[in-house]
Amino acid sequence: MDAILSVRQVTERLRQTVEARFPYVWVQGEVTNLSRPSSGHVYFSLKEDDSLLNCVWFKRQQKDEAFDPLTGEVWEDGPRPSLARTMENGQTLVCAGRLTVYGARGQYQMIVDLAQTAGLGLWHQEFEALKRRLAAEGLFDAARKRSIPREPRKVAVITAPGGAAIRDFIRISSTRGLGSEIRIYPVPVQGEDAPPRIVEALDKAGRDAWAEVVVLIRGGGSVQDLWAFNDERVARAVYRCPIPVLAGIGHEIDHSITDFTADYSAATPSHTAQILWQERHVLAQHVDGLETALQTGLSRRMNTLTLRLEHARRALSLLSPSERMRAQNERLDALMRRMRAGLEQRVEKDARTVETLRAALRAQTSRMDALASTLERLSLRLAGAGEARLQRAEAEVERRKAALLPLGRMTGMAEEKALTRLEARLQALDPFAPLHRGYAMACDERGKLLRSVTQTSPGRAISVMLADGRIFGTVTGTEPSEPDDARQS
Amino acid sequence: MKKKEPTFEERLARLQAIVTALETGDSPLEESVALYKEGLAHAAACREQLEKARHDIRLCTEAGTEPFDAGSQEEDN
Repeated sequence: MDAILSVRQVTERLRQTVEARFPYVWVQGEVTNLSRPSSGHVYFSLKEDDSLLNCVWFKRQQKDEAFDPLTGEVWEDGPRPSLARTMENGQTLVCAGRLTVYGARGQYQMIVDLAQTAGLGLWHQEFEALKRRLAAEGLFDAARKRSIPREPRKVAVITAPGGAAIRDFIRISSTRGLGSEIRIYPVPVQGEDAPPRIVEALDKAGRDAWAEVVVLIRGGGSVQDLWAFNDERVARAVYRCPIPVLAGIGHEIDHSITDFTADYSAATPSHTAQILWQERHVLAQHVDGLETALQTGLSRRMNTLTLRLEHARRALSLLSPSERMRAQNERLDALMRRMRAGLEQRVEKDARTVETLRAALRAQTSRMDALASTLERLSLRLAGAGEARLQRAEAEVERRKAALLPLGRMTGMAEEKALTRLEARLQALDPFAPLHRGYAMACDERGKLLRSVTQTSPGRAISVMLADGRIFGTVTGTEPSEPDDARQS
Repeated sequence: MKKKEPTFEERLARLQAIVTALETGDSPLEESVALYKEGLAHAAACREQLEKARHDIRLCTEAGTEPFDAGSQEEDN
């Protein structure tokens, strides 16, 4: 013992020792001596049987909780007020913090960093552990979920007969379904008794094998209130129930182990009734719709048949003997009309031809007439001309005879011979004499002697004089002689 | 009982079948009219069934079942 220590020194050493030995601890205990002075710091003690630990929770540590301190899960409904404000005497808390010594009072105490209600925390841990275990066992497998029958006629409901859940269920189902039998298996839904009774009811419903579906419902409440539905026994009873189980626990979906295990989990008890049955007015509407379709269907059917009848009637009238006769008549008429038209056309054409021919004939006749009269005139002139020329020639002969006469008398026979020769020569001068040798003279329509092909042209009249008469004709063409031809002839 | 009263579902199914037959089938007129009449009867019966529909709610007890009246039960959640 080297020195006598002062109070402060002892306290300081103690403080250092305590703080070094218990830097951060979790302590569970029941809250007592809770005090909230106006400073905002919270003072309380954690008690267990005959032990007590003084605690101080300084204001700056009292933060609202944005997440679950145990699971780290963020609260979806926003931060929750710190327990410092809501804690009460008698509550069991788990507090975390460091131990220290408060010298002024000669006390050791805990400076609280955060706190958690112990029950909830443990429940949570239990819940998570059970959930993992049952999941691993396959109790929540989607593959084993049976479908919930729709419009069931026999429904077993496991719930508290006086609870809000069954009232909601009955109220919602009253306007739904077609009149089902609902059997209520009464059970307590909270407390120690609840899990075994619920298990018993589930097993009984399974044994009864009466219902098509088992509905397990419980109204809303705190997590503790709903704890029976996180019971492993209940989960296993749900799992082994031979009838599909529809759960409606509290007011949140998938909140309990029972929800996970059930074949289908509804949000609320009311929701289970909505799942089971359709509203009657929806069914009524469906019936109305079918009735309308029925009427439409019949009238369409009638229309189709009416239409078909009409078609048949038309087809029949088309095929009737009278209709056939009428058609044949029509055809006959048409043919006759065509025939008449053809005939008329033909006659008209022929008439036109006749008329044309007749006109041509007339033209030809008048031309013939003209030619005849021309010929007449020409022949007259020709006759006149021949006569005059003959007279002139005879006069010439007379004159020459007169001149010769003296000669004749002088020359005697010789002269007579000369005379005969002269006569022969004279005769040779007769223009018509060559005609007896086969020559011909051609005249135009006026009787003028033609000496050249240029003096006439096709279509003009021509008369050819032979020894014994005349030939009348029409020039059909002219062709001057080639110079060579002329020389050769 | 020779003939059991058809259930709502049976009637509805029959009604549906009749509508389909009328809409798509090629049945003779007499048959169509007969189907229509049958369909109308089913529709009316369905409506009646809907109007009359009430759930029969019973409470299971040790002895068996007894009629259940929600109002008579004490409030214990």
